[in-house]
Amino acid sequence: MSERKKLLEVKNISVVFGSRKKAFTAVDDVSFDIYEGETFGLVGESGSGKTTIGRAIIRINAITSGEIIFEDERISGKIDKKKDKKVVQDIQMIFQDPMSSLNERAKVDYIVSEGLYNLKNYANDAERKKIVDEALLEVGLLPEFSSRFPHEFSGGQRQRIGIARSLVMQPKFIIADEPISALDVSIRAQVLNLMNRLKKDLGLTYLFIAHDLSIVRFITDRVGVIHKGRLVELAETEELYNNPLHPYTRSLLSAIPMPNPNYEKSRKVIFYDPDQHHYDIEAPKWVEIKKGHFILANQPEIDTYKTMLESNIKGE
Amino acid sequence: MKLKTHDRLVEHIADDLFEFANADTDNSEIAGYSNYSYWRSTVQVFLKNKTAVLFLGVIVILLLFTMIQPVLPNQKDPTFIHINPETFMQFRNVKPGTEFWFGTNAIGQDLWARIWSGTRTSLLIGFAVGLFEVVIGIIIGTLWGYVKKLDRIITEIYNVWNNIPTTVILILLTYIFRPSLSTLIFAMAITGWLSMARLVRNLVTIIRDREYNMASRCLGTPTYRILTKNMLPYLVSVIMLRVALAIPMAIGAEVFLTYIGLGLPVQIPSLGNLVNEGRVLMMSQSLRYQLFFPAIVISMITISFYVMGNAFADAADPKNHV
Repeated sequence: MSERKKLLEVKNISVVFGSRKKAFTAVDDVSFDIYEGETFGLVGESGSGKTTIGRAIIRINAITSGEIIFEDERISGKIDKKKDKKVVQDIQMIFQDPMSSLNERAKVDYIVSEGLYNLKNYANDAERKKIVDEALLEVGLLPEFSSRFPHEFSGGQRQRIGIARSLVMQPKFIIADEPISALDVSIRAQVLNLMNRLKKDLGLTYLFIAHDLSIVRFITDRVGVIHKGRLVELAETEELYNNPLHPYTRSLLSAIPMPNPNYEKSRKVIFYDPDQHHYDIEAPKWVEIKKGHFILANQPEIDTYKTMLESNIKGE
Repeated sequence: MKLKTHDRLVEHIADDLFEFANADTDNSEIAGYSNYSYWRSTVQVFLKNKTAVLFLGVIVILLLFTMIQPVLPNQKDPTFIHINPETFMQFRNVKPGTEFWFGTNAIGQDLWARIWSGTRTSLLIGFAVGLFEVVIGIIIGTLWGYVKKLDRIITEIYNVWNNIPTTVILILLTYIFRPSLSTLIFAMAITGWLSMARLVRNLVTIIRDREYNMASRCLGTPTYRILTKNMLPYLVSVIMLRVALAIPMAIGAEVFLTYIGLGLPVQIPSLGNLVNEGRVLMMSQSLRYQLFFPAIVISMITISFYVMGNAFADAADPKNHV
């Protein structure tokens, strides 16, 4: 694991909205690394700051403190033009709502080639058209569609147009901000499989932001759980789903709906109460409790989590 | 029993009558080349509105007529004072008839010629002010709404500028320059763009942070292209309505300014001057025609632009495109 190359490092970032008097901390001291070629998931409830983290990385939201490092170079704060261009090309985003993320008054041709116009990395118009056609084919759409307007497409098709738009930039890293939560259940698999195929074919790395835990388990390699702007637990996906330690993670996992009536009958939803932590006595630290398994806890909690881990392993 | 009859029937059907159709998922997505074009659909929807087309016709005829009227045969000079050759007196307040189609005014000028000449002046004012308002209003409005750094500065400038009454600016300008056509256009233009800019600014602020604009920013699209490709196409319908209203509003403002004595000099016929002259004679029933004719022309212009503007604003909204 350690020999894998770090593509993106997020170091102690905070994002504060509003002025001093009405300041609201959306992201509070969050750190994580994303390795090349993996899918990193961020889960948490609405308003927990997952989207803000994604937007901070792609620089829509400015970070208040900390730094973001992409391919060993700082990309947060002020950067020069050359680096800015490189970051624009290398980091792309897939948006949540395909209904609002496409320009309704532009043809698909323009939407997909918007990034190309900005980079001007094509020789002539025929070549640009060719790149657009290839990108459309790549996401399973027909090149003929480029003459149409977004309102002529279904939600799944529109989301694929959004993916094609980011693919023409030949990015290395894609932030997928709840890419399927606005889609119909029947076409979610379509988009997820497309994302997985593209990852394999083009060697992409994803930051997958979601609140649907069963999908996160399906698509991600590692998961970070975020609560009220703080990362509370981070581990490899299977490790996290098998050994959830933080009470908030356990509460989230206990709420996953299962298509099993017997299980549903006996389901016990764990209620998470932040008051159980007593962080006023001892502040929590971000510790590696097991190799690759990080958790936000103070000393007494670390001890209980350790015994929990041991009993879990014994139980297996 | 029934099943057997069915089977027997099936046996009698020849296999070569049917063939299997293979479902092709790629094929199902081909629905043909789409030739939807925004402007063509807009025009089509507009033409479906019969009332709007009627008023469009009215405006076109009016415009054409004001342009060709001076070169038509038997037209009189709008400023020439007609003298009765028998009495050597002016033709004062002659009622509409065969010689003077719309009659004459108090000093014997031909009202028919004056009305068309005045319409020409007023439409020129309307179009000039409207054009200036649109160009300056849109440029400043989009920058004001989109570029956050400029928001504060332009808002302050707007507040100061907007708090100086238009009349005061006009009085100052007429003191500095002489009242003339260009002074009037200049004075109305430098105050008129403010409301247009604010309207555009508000609209831009509403759509600035929509996801598709964020997507454009993530793709590194420069601001001017976001403004022209992402913002303005969304504002077409609202701007069109404003433009259509700006022209009659400028004409109306000219009428008002002439009324308070700050408009064009009397020797230049304009709808404002004509209405002002007619207004004085309004109380005498026999002379009322001097007010009616220019008022009818103003009403026609105003109503036509208003109806057309509304119809066009509806047509320019793609939600109304079938």
